[in-house]
Amino acid sequence: MSADQIVFWILAPISVASAVLMLLQRNAVHSALFLIVNFFCLSVFFLVLGSPFLFVVQIVVYAGAIMVLFLFVIMLLGVDQRESLIERLKGQRFFAIVLALAVAAEITTAVRLAAGLAKAPPAGFDAVNEGGNVRALAEVLFKDYFLPFEVTSILLIIAAIAAMVLTKRRFSAPEPEGADASVAGETEETAA
Amino acid sequence: MTTPIGYYLVLSGILFSIGTVGVLVRRNALVIFMSIELQLNAVNLSLIAFSRQLGDLQGQVLAFFSMVVAAAEVVVGLAIIVAIFRRRRTANVDESNLLKG
Amino acid sequence: MPATIWLIPLLPLAGALVNLFFGKRLGRYAGWLASATVGLAFAISLGAFFALIRLPEEGRELTATAYEWITSGSFHVAIEILIDPLSMTMLLVVTGVGFLIHVYSNGYMKGDPRFGRFFAYMNLFVFFMLVLVMADNYVLMYVGWEGVGLCSYLLIGFWFEKKAASHAAKKAFIVTRIGDTLMLIGLALMVFQFGSLAFGDVLTVAGVSGVSEGTMTVIAVLLFCGAIGKSAQLPLHVWLPDAMEGPTPVSALIHAATMVTAGVYLVVRSHALFSPTAMTVVAVIGLASALYGALASVGQDDIKRALAYSTMSQLGYMFFAAGLGAYSLAIALLVVHAFYKSLMFLGSGSVMHGLGGHETDMRVMGGLRKLMPATGGMFVIGAWALSGLPPMSGFFAKDPIISYANGTGHVLMWILAIAAAFFSALYISRILFLTFFGAYRGDKHPHESPKVMLIPMGVLAVGAAFGGLLTLSINGAIEHFLEPATGALHEAGEGLPEPLLIAISIVVALAGVATAWLIWGSGRVDWVALRERNLPTHEMLAHGFYVDDAYANLLVPTLLAGSRFLSSGIDSGLVDGAVNGLGRLTERTGGLMRHLQTGIVRTYALAILVGVAALLLILEVMR
Repeated sequence: MSADQIVFWILAPISVASAVLMLLQRNAVHSALFLIVNFFCLSVFFLVLGSPFLFVVQIVVYAGAIMVLFLFVIMLLGVDQRESLIERLKGQRFFAIVLALAVAAEITTAVRLAAGLAKAPPAGFDAVNEGGNVRALAEVLFKDYFLPFEVTSILLIIAAIAAMVLTKRRFSAPEPEGADASVAGETEETAA
Repeated sequence: MTTPIGYYLVLSGILFSIGTVGVLVRRNALVIFMSIELQLNAVNLSLIAFSRQLGDLQGQVLAFFSMVVAAAEVVVGLAIIVAIFRRRRTANVDESNLLKG
Repeated sequence: MPATIWLIPLLPLAGALVNLFFGKRLGRYAGWLASATVGLAFAISLGAFFALIRLPEEGRELTATAYEWITSGSFHVAIEILIDPLSMTMLLVVTGVGFLIHVYSNGYMKGDPRFGRFFAYMNLFVFFMLVLVMADNYVLMYVGWEGVGLCSYLLIGFWFEKKAASHAAKKAFIVTRIGDTLMLIGLALMVFQFGSLAFGDVLTVAGVSGVSEGTMTVIAVLLFCGAIGKSAQLPLHVWLPDAMEGPTPVSALIHAATMVTAGVYLVVRSHALFSPTAMTVVAVIGLASALYGALASVGQDDIKRALAYSTMSQLGYMFFAAGLGAYSLAIALLVVHAFYKSLMFLGSGSVMHGLGGHETDMRVMGGLRKLMPATGGMFVIGAWALSGLPPMSGFFAKDPIISYANGTGHVLMWILAIAAAFFSALYISRILFLTFFGAYRGDKHPHESPKVMLIPMGVLAVGAAFGGLLTLSINGAIEHFLEPATGALHEAGEGLPEPLLIAISIVVALAGVATAWLIWGSGRVDWVALRERNLPTHEMLAHGFYVDDAYANLLVPTLLAGSRFLSSGIDSGLVDGAVNGLGRLTERTGGLMRHLQTGIVRTYALAILVGVAALLLILEVMR
């Protein structure tokens, strides 16, 4: 058994388990932490599959930035909020699980029908990564995908501005607490 | 490497399904969001697996872009959740049912 | 053909439109205008008549086409008119008598709040009647046919505040509708067989020879059904007595001289389509109606109703003649009858006017010839003509028909015709004596009518008196004139010799007059007591042998029940129910579907997942 197989068979269950556990936590912070574990596993998979660049990016961006952002917001919204266990929608849990299992089964079947589960990846991938994965990736990125690259950068700027706009508090009006409460009360009523 | 690619794809499918369950079952908006991120990652995994299989770096490029856009999306999404929370004092998505017919 | 011919119908139409919109403002000039349009139409008709007789006998036919109206595949209908001897005769009668009655109406309808509208309707009627007689195809004729029916309805129900009048108008329209619908079926069959409805295509020998006799009989009988309705023959006669609710000029024009004669015109015009079987049908119904009308008239106390049944009877004679093949005799009687019947209707109107209003019960009349000498004298002329006694015109028109019947060898028909003649003389003399002779039994102050009413009556009286000069027995002018359209009159072969027949007719008529004089005129018989002693018989006659009552009590409730079933059961229940049910179904389905919109994101997400799972399944299965 080669190294990558060992790695796979150790980390795959861990990633699945962490994902499941992420679901089952009542505390959002715990969920976030399990998700980070999952991300780490995935990043190792990326490395094994011949993408050391993405291995790092996954950790830096996802686990490092996105999950931190999540944790910030969880703290902001109240870290001790616990979700109730009672499901008010009838059949939601049952159908969700059943259908998700069905989807998983279908994907498995599809894979088996198409690629076959036993096919090993062809050799010669290292030739693709000639000069290092970063360099090869950069070649593709800045030559063929230059436009999407630029557009995505603009997207990031827009996202940042959007976040600022959406969360802006109106400090100009002189009724911060009263207005919020009455507005909240109004929306409670219409929601009821 | 000698692990058949199919295993990675099946793993990706399983993770995706778990993420789906998370979206459907949990009521906390943030946990739902995290499940969505899980789904996105599952897809990224399959993308990179295919990239390996086909010997083409475009899969990795797409996964890269997916991560970037996911980051932007998280930013905006969390901002929205914060804005909603400010109004309603609750992160329970079931409470946002004003579009009820 | 000069374009002025088109003015004949268009002038009354213009008059109708003007009076319809400006009648109120015109006041009494509305009546002048209406009379003028018809009078002008008469003048132009006279001109056309002289133009016509200048043509050689075989080619006495003027046609003109305005434009192609309907073009549907190979079926064409045009706005086209035909002036031949038959339509010329009708034109002169309609415009001539129509003009006189319009003048009369100026006096009779004076003071009526809807004076202008009356004349609008009258002019409209004349327009439609002219369309009817001038048409060169059955479609245009049918337009006129329906139009006169409409105007009849409008005019019968002119005083619509009176319930009886509006009911009578409805009744007239509905009963004639039955006939009209059958006629329409006949027209449809005609299109099916001939492919065209133009007289030129249908009524020629070439057109007729291509069709089987059975089909032709059916078509002819169906057309005749329309005539039965319009001309108030058995069994569709029930509307005519009730139609007397309308103003008297209406009764004179429409229900004596013109509209009711449209049926006769139709049969005569279409005679090429009538097989022996169809003709027998016409003759039988005509004769039956003649006898029936005469008998029923004897039992009427209302002078106008008596005259209405009389009209039915006289029309029966016309159909009888047509059924025997003597078409020109039928038309001759039509012309003469127009004179004396409208004279007598106008006379009755004069009597009503003289008695202060709408008194029509003859039991409270009497002795009016002293109090209304002009009316009385002219009424005598009219009654004389109707009895069929020489030298008045009726003798020269009705008698030839009876003689002709004898000549055909149908002895029973001849006897019945003679019987009808006896009763005709009887009823009209009864009316004369009850109204104008004896002592005045009423309590009003009768006075003579104004000249504007008497002068038209006088003109008609001249026609009633001297019209005989034009007919067969003297010089056959009318019949000869009509020959191109009606075919030559075959000399009757068998039967009794002519002088004997004439003698029999005169004796029978005199017997009728004498009997009437005895019972109602001389004062020697207490006719009130006589009536009481024979009450059942009298009631039967008064109610027209209960035909109308039978319809009202048997036929109408059945139809109403059927209608009610269709209306509430099927229409409200089924049709509306289906439509409303559809609405309710939509509502309920929407109500159910509404629950899908929970407003909760997670259910929507679940729905999406269902779709995804299904899609994947399909895609995999498709491998």
